[in-house]
Amino acid sequence: MSKSKAELYQERLKRYTTAVKNGKPDMIPIRPFVAEFTARYAGYSCQEVTHDYRKAHLAVRKCAADFDWDAVVGNMVYVWTGLTQAIDLVYYGVPGIDVSPDVGFQYREPPEDKAFMRLEDYDALIQDPTGYLFNTWLPRVSRAIVPPGEPATFRHNLAFLKGGMAMMDYFGALGEQNELLRDETGTVSAISGILKAPLDIMADKLRGYYGLVHDLMECPDKVLKACEALAPHLLWIALSGADPAGNVPITMWMHRSCVPFITPDHFEHIYWPTIKPIIEEIWRRGHQVLLYAEGNWDFHLETFRTLPAGSVIFHVDQGDIFQAHRILGDKFCLSGGLPNTLLSMGTPEEVREYCKKIIDGVAADGGYIMDASAIIQNDARVENVQAMTEFTRDYGQY
Amino acid sequence: MEQSTKENVYRKPGVCIPWEEKLKELPPIPGDAELARQIWEEVDQLGYIFIWHCLVSF
Repeated sequence: MSKSKAELYQERLKRYTTAVKNGKPDMIPIRPFVAEFTARYAGYSCQEVTHDYRKAHLAVRKCAADFDWDAVVGNMVYVWTGLTQAIDLVYYGVPGIDVSPDVGFQYREPPEDKAFMRLEDYDALIQDPTGYLFNTWLPRVSRAIVPPGEPATFRHNLAFLKGGMAMMDYFGALGEQNELLRDETGTVSAISGILKAPLDIMADKLRGYYGLVHDLMECPDKVLKACEALAPHLLWIALSGADPAGNVPITMWMHRSCVPFITPDHFEHIYWPTIKPIIEEIWRRGHQVLLYAEGNWDFHLETFRTLPAGSVIFHVDQGDIFQAHRILGDKFCLSGGLPNTLLSMGTPEEVREYCKKIIDGVAADGGYIMDASAIIQNDARVENVQAMTEFTRDYGQY
Repeated sequence: MEQSTKENVYRKPGVCIPWEEKLKELPPIPGDAELARQIWEEVDQLGYIFIWHCLVSF
């Protein structure tokens, strides 16, 4: 007799939550972070899944129904450009509008002299981060919003109204999507809540990478104070989206705060002291953090090892997953490590061979979740994603 | 918001306009002051969520 969706969900939830706690479930959980791949599979363009989140949600549910995955993200094409257009944000290249309809959305970092936060703004940010974001940052990143002191315009008023309502609409729909994934396909919503490190946010959205590395050399004390000022707010936002049951982790998207983007000294004295307490506080409140280590963070594995056992899941992108297993494997669950290039340009046989290599090398005692290195976009071939799924299911039994 | 910046108000996480600041603008509250505070803070939090998610998520 086939299992009901509710039974399947409970089975998958147990498998996934056992693994994230670095335990050994009945089999290796499969939790691919499928983004624009869902569009390719479901027959949509990138424009359709980016600009119409309802199609993105349908595409995820179609994949979840057709592939034997334990957990997925409700919408990994996470930027709904209907929302960003309502606020008229300057930094997105929208598929079908700014770029080809078959290309994923793009983030356009401004040149150093047009950074959204100026060098002279540090004191204002440090004194009042929320006020700074509303009064100075938002008018710079939005074509519609004007700064305080200038006459409000029709578009200014609408940007706040439409932007706020669109955000509530989108977040509400994500909750419904998670329920539909559970009820229709028995699939677990893999993550809940978002975290970014203070130094990463400084580079991503405030000073820009070039501006930030200039400041790290010229005024590191200001950078540290800015990170300290941002930290409690980033903690608050992370916890506000956390899974109340504590089953699935908050995800920290890790960008350019590793060597060689910054120096070991800046990592040790600015990045780590301003993110470690956030992760520890989240853990103290009953939640794990998925360290989604985009790029290569191998230089810092020993530092991550100092976190409390079980407090994080370490996701490997370009790093060496076997080295990560040697250094972190006794304390933390690992995920990822399957090169995206194999999914796009390899053969199913090559995918199976690499999956075997990972499973043999890091998953023997549990504490591993199968996933690609980075989010899976529309360059991935369907037969390769199928090979990853079916091989892991067959070979990944404990 | 502008007024708060000039007055150098410390804005805690989850807060845009603190209830204490709003309270100064109101006449004496004849009804349930605690309810007034609670609802003000809950709705004020939505503004906070908006701006911080603009920074972190979008």
